[in-house]
Amino acid sequence: MFANGFIGPDTLSVKDLPWQIHWDKDKCTLCGRCTAVCPVHAIELGVHRKRLVQTPPVGELARKHDLANVFQVFYGIRQKTDPAHACVGCAMCSLVCPNGSIIPCRSDEADKLKFHINRGGYPRRRGGRRNVPEQPPGGILDRIKFTRISMLTDPALDAGRHEFELRTLLGRVLPPEESLRLYREQGWVPPVREIYPLIIGSMSFGALSPAMWEGLQMGVAYLNEELGIPVRICTGEGGCPPRLLRSRFLKYVILQIASGYFGWDEIIHALPEMKEDPCAVEIKYGQGAKPGDGGLLMWYKVNKLIAAIRGVPTGVSLPSPPTHQTKYSIEEAVAKMIQSMYMAWGFRVPVYPKISGTSTALAVLNNLTRNPYAAGLAIDGEDGGTGAAYNVSMDHMGHPIASNIRDCYLNLVKVGQQNEIPLFAGGGVGKYGNLAANAAALIMLGASGVQIGKYMMQAAAGCVGSESDRCNICNIGLCPKGITAQDPRLYRRLDPEKVAERVVDVFLAFDTELKKIVAPLGRSTSLPIGMSDALAINDRSAAERLQIKYVV
Amino acid sequence: MKEQQFYRVSGLEDGRRLESRILEERLQKAVADGHRRLLVEAYGHHGIGGRLWKSGDEPVHVRIEGPPGQRVGSMGFPNTRIEIMGPASDDTGWLNAGADIVVHGNAANGTANAMAQGKIYVAGNIGARGMTMTKHNPRFDPPELWVLGSVGDYFAEFMAGGIAVICGHNPQNPENILGYRPCVGMVGGKIYFRGPHKGYSQADAKLIAISDADWDWLINNLRIFLETVRCPDLYSRLTRREEWQLLTARSPHEKLVQPRRSMNVFNREVWDKELGRGGLLGDLLDPTQGPVPVITTGHLRRFVPVWENREYKAPCEASCPTGIPVHERWRLVREGRIDEAVDLALAYTPFPATVCGYLCPNLCMQGCTRKVSNMAPPDVSRLGKASLTADLPPFPPITGKGVAVIGGGPAGISIAWQLRRLGHEAVIYDTERTLGGKLSFLIPKTRIPQEVLNAELERVRKVIPHVYVEQRPGAQEIEQMKLDYDFIVIAVGAQKPRVLPIPGKERLVPALSFLRQSKVDQAEVGKRVVIIGAGNVGCDAATEAYRLGAEEITLIDVQQPLSFGKEREAAEAVGARFRWPCFSKAVTEEGLELTTGEVIPADTVIISIGDMPDLDFLPGSVTVERGFIKVNDMYQTTDPQIFAIGDAVKLGLLTDAIGAGRKAARAISDILADKIPSQGGTQEMIDYTRIKLEYFDPRLERFEDVAACALQCSSCGTCRDCGVCINVCPQAAISRRENGNGTFEMVADPDKCIGCGFCAAACPCGVWNLVENEPLE
Repeated sequence: MFANGFIGPDTLSVKDLPWQIHWDKDKCTLCGRCTAVCPVHAIELGVHRKRLVQTPPVGELARKHDLANVFQVFYGIRQKTDPAHACVGCAMCSLVCPNGSIIPCRSDEADKLKFHINRGGYPRRRGGRRNVPEQPPGGILDRIKFTRISMLTDPALDAGRHEFELRTLLGRVLPPEESLRLYREQGWVPPVREIYPLIIGSMSFGALSPAMWEGLQMGVAYLNEELGIPVRICTGEGGCPPRLLRSRFLKYVILQIASGYFGWDEIIHALPEMKEDPCAVEIKYGQGAKPGDGGLLMWYKVNKLIAAIRGVPTGVSLPSPPTHQTKYSIEEAVAKMIQSMYMAWGFRVPVYPKISGTSTALAVLNNLTRNPYAAGLAIDGEDGGTGAAYNVSMDHMGHPIASNIRDCYLNLVKVGQQNEIPLFAGGGVGKYGNLAANAAALIMLGASGVQIGKYMMQAAAGCVGSESDRCNICNIGLCPKGITAQDPRLYRRLDPEKVAERVVDVFLAFDTELKKIVAPLGRSTSLPIGMSDALAINDRSAAERLQIKYVV
Repeated sequence: MKEQQFYRVSGLEDGRRLESRILEERLQKAVADGHRRLLVEAYGHHGIGGRLWKSGDEPVHVRIEGPPGQRVGSMGFPNTRIEIMGPASDDTGWLNAGADIVVHGNAANGTANAMAQGKIYVAGNIGARGMTMTKHNPRFDPPELWVLGSVGDYFAEFMAGGIAVICGHNPQNPENILGYRPCVGMVGGKIYFRGPHKGYSQADAKLIAISDADWDWLINNLRIFLETVRCPDLYSRLTRREEWQLLTARSPHEKLVQPRRSMNVFNREVWDKELGRGGLLGDLLDPTQGPVPVITTGHLRRFVPVWENREYKAPCEASCPTGIPVHERWRLVREGRIDEAVDLALAYTPFPATVCGYLCPNLCMQGCTRKVSNMAPPDVSRLGKASLTADLPPFPPITGKGVAVIGGGPAGISIAWQLRRLGHEAVIYDTERTLGGKLSFLIPKTRIPQEVLNAELERVRKVIPHVYVEQRPGAQEIEQMKLDYDFIVIAVGAQKPRVLPIPGKERLVPALSFLRQSKVDQAEVGKRVVIIGAGNVGCDAATEAYRLGAEEITLIDVQQPLSFGKEREAAEAVGARFRWPCFSKAVTEEGLELTTGEVIPADTVIISIGDMPDLDFLPGSVTVERGFIKVNDMYQTTDPQIFAIGDAVKLGLLTDAIGAGRKAARAISDILADKIPSQGGTQEMIDYTRIKLEYFDPRLERFEDVAACALQCSSCGTCRDCGVCINVCPQAAISRRENGNGTFEMVADPDKCIGCGFCAAACPCGVWNLVENEPLE
């Protein structure tokens, strides 16, 4: 702003911004690292005028020129107030500061920026996660307690000492009589995979940086091959690198097909050369973070690499429509898509749809129960993350996962198919850090497994985003940690090997915690899917809604 | 000591089994009574032989015949020796605190569980969870468990101390004498064993070499064990050192080392091996690329500094319609080249003194960056006035191309001057007796010293010798000129006053006529003058009226007057009143009557509501719109051979007319040279925010001389060679490079620069910029 103070309707002061840079002049060494690293150029070197008014004691004031104004210039770090350069609070400046002299702090004032980030009539778009008004004690999943502690009533198990086989099934499990009949008749039996119940959910190549994607895949391969933990990872929409398609690691991968069908011709071309079948195929109909909205990879993220994997030219925006374009009913969508995807691998690979959390989930589920090919149903709740979405979609659209998965499970119980169609829950699992507790709660509410995305970004790669609108700039390709950036200068900050190590850490720690939860319940060889008598909550309405115990 | 015979205590009385509690009471009583050798006939009784402290230091020997129950010797004391003549049940020696327990058969699950002291000798095999949770209290010897055969599953879980010896003789499972998953959670103690095993918890235990001291301990105590369990003959078979192995607990420090392959090794040996060199994307990305740090240099910088010297126009230059690079003049002054600074103006205008020094409102100063912060701009009129004595630059030889310029006012003179500078011959036609147009005939003498104007006109005449005065070409002459000259430029100004269609309009004196008369002191105005139209021309008229004796001068306007600058100041200085909004109704003998009915008394009513060009002479090929000649961006009329500039195109300032002449001259010269006419450059003005006025003293209001002005000029967009960037760069990446031809540039060393942008932020002149680096694939 000019010194004499021209203002416009969207002229903001630092006080109006959600994040304020606190900078300590005494500690700063003016090394330039903070301004070099700031992803949005929220800070710059400031040139400041310092005026020293020199007045001797008036009694000693002999001549007029004893009075003096001395001007000096000093330099400092200055925060910009232009909304285009508003600090996002990522604190990379603090990270690189050698002297600890700079840190972004959340304003104690209501954020005024949000009223101005619609310049040109474009509503705010961002990446990240649903912003919640303030940091609550936790979500509903965090408040669920496991109250059935066996001790003397069942053989309580020792999480550290006993052996556990915590596996789940992905695929259509036939009722015993049907199984026997098909066995006798040597008929087709739906493929079923025995996998680890914590799945790395769909994050596309493109939404994630190459380094992040490779790190996740490498970690998954390590978990499988070195530690014998059958973890699976979903590609998300956007194809799969050719080398992975032609490697044995493909069996750890769930390929996703979504409404944009990006990368699928490359997958089809790789079919004859595949050494292994993929674990499964996920048909994406919706995403928890932005239900009813399609994906969009902006043109500036579509570099040569992305283009090669997605099978598109470089530098064009890649929109995925909100819906698959040639399907007009549940029956058609399910039957047509599932059949087609089964055919690609000779009916050896399970195929299941993924929908965003919705009050219409039961309609989808009921349809799946009548389709013998449906291998499961994944539901992505409102707390899921995304690389890019409209703020309004993220913050206000969608359905919480807990009651959605519960309704579906209880409905399966009602029709007697709760052991036949596995449900997978996702969307905000572990968002407050309680990954195992959240996962166990969802499993006991009826999920056969859970999918995580953001959690991996935070735990395995140090994503600095938060539910209080920190960073959240995945959509503009400037991820300071290199997790979602396609610029090699950014993504090469991330070492895939180190990501893989963290993936392993996460799963091993999760495994221990999950055992700590299920061991006192007396479960070691089967997941307590739907074991809701172990659950309770200190909220009567939630207890009633989820049909679990109310405790105080 | 009562006897050496065994004192028999039976678990059976009257054919009925005693409760374990009764048997315990009887055993305790027997010891209390002094019995030291007890023979127990057991019938599955619990906890036989423990807690026999009542004998004090005297040893107690308990022999058990018949099947004992669980926990034989539990909480055993150091004085106690228990001998089970057959097999033992679960938890033998549970919480043993010192008893020696001998089992002449197999022992079931939980043997030695939680034992802290004492010894257990088992002549056969033991069941699951043996030697679990055992302790070693440093106050006592460690507990020992000796097993002749093998152990069951989950052996030594949570073992925290003590010594177990598994001899592997006639084991239950010859392929695995340690059972399934031994040593889970083991934190202390040693396990000697002999025979094959199927693994143990690598995380908790490790195999170590048996030292000589260990071996000596083992064979010495093995002899005792074998004698105790009555198999001394096995000694030689069981003392082959190579058959024995020793397991010990890992220390907490050792446990941190996970016994798994590092990710780095996995990456190289598994990942890359399956996928190919470079891993997942080795076929699509350069496989030699590795991780990069957050702070980078060279091509890995996200942003790079660019020294954009002279890439943008300074605001003064951009604000000047004539396009004079004022900052450049101040630079020359700063460099001590004041003469060059003065002379420079003649490249842009033939009237630097008259216009820049006196008549121009100095748009350059109004646009000056310093004004943005309410700081006084350097006073360019001083340089302008100094230009009176400027040396003429050399003019190139005439190329032979000729241009007729119709009108010898500021616009016409400007284009003729510029054409001559470009080597073309311009011939001026003017209706007056002398050159100068408005400058000579209309602008009051008070505003411009005549000697200044005359001197500059004299300079013009030297440059442009071909001037035809008192010519008024008509359409026919224009047609002839089109044949005689390459181009014709119309610069006739606006000389036709606009009048109001009101009664008495014949009494109105047009301002131009008045000024023309007043300039030669031939006007008479009386005491009261009303001027309709309070623009700058009206102000000039007011000033002149005052000079000619008027005392009451009123300027009226239909809106807030647009007059400004020196003209307005001069009018106010002579006491002229400004009134608005006022609408004229009639001019009468009394004065000016307004629509309100008010009559402003006046001896003279001057009208100054603008003038229109007189264009009747133009050929039909030149389109006139709303009274002015229609031109394109380079002042070409609809007749491509005819250009038009100055007030004939659009009413403006002197500097507008002079600037138009300069631009049109350049266009004509380009066309004559068969070049695409330049549109006066595409350089944009530098953004004010790039200039850092913090380096200047904001309290300076007046500047002593041109040197002081020059020092305060912020040199927008042009490097002032101050060295601030060199000094502020944290990486010492910036240096000044002489280019050899007297010029220099600032360069940032990419190998040092981290792209912090300090140079761009600190540059006083806004020369450095920080731009995105070239995209990387």
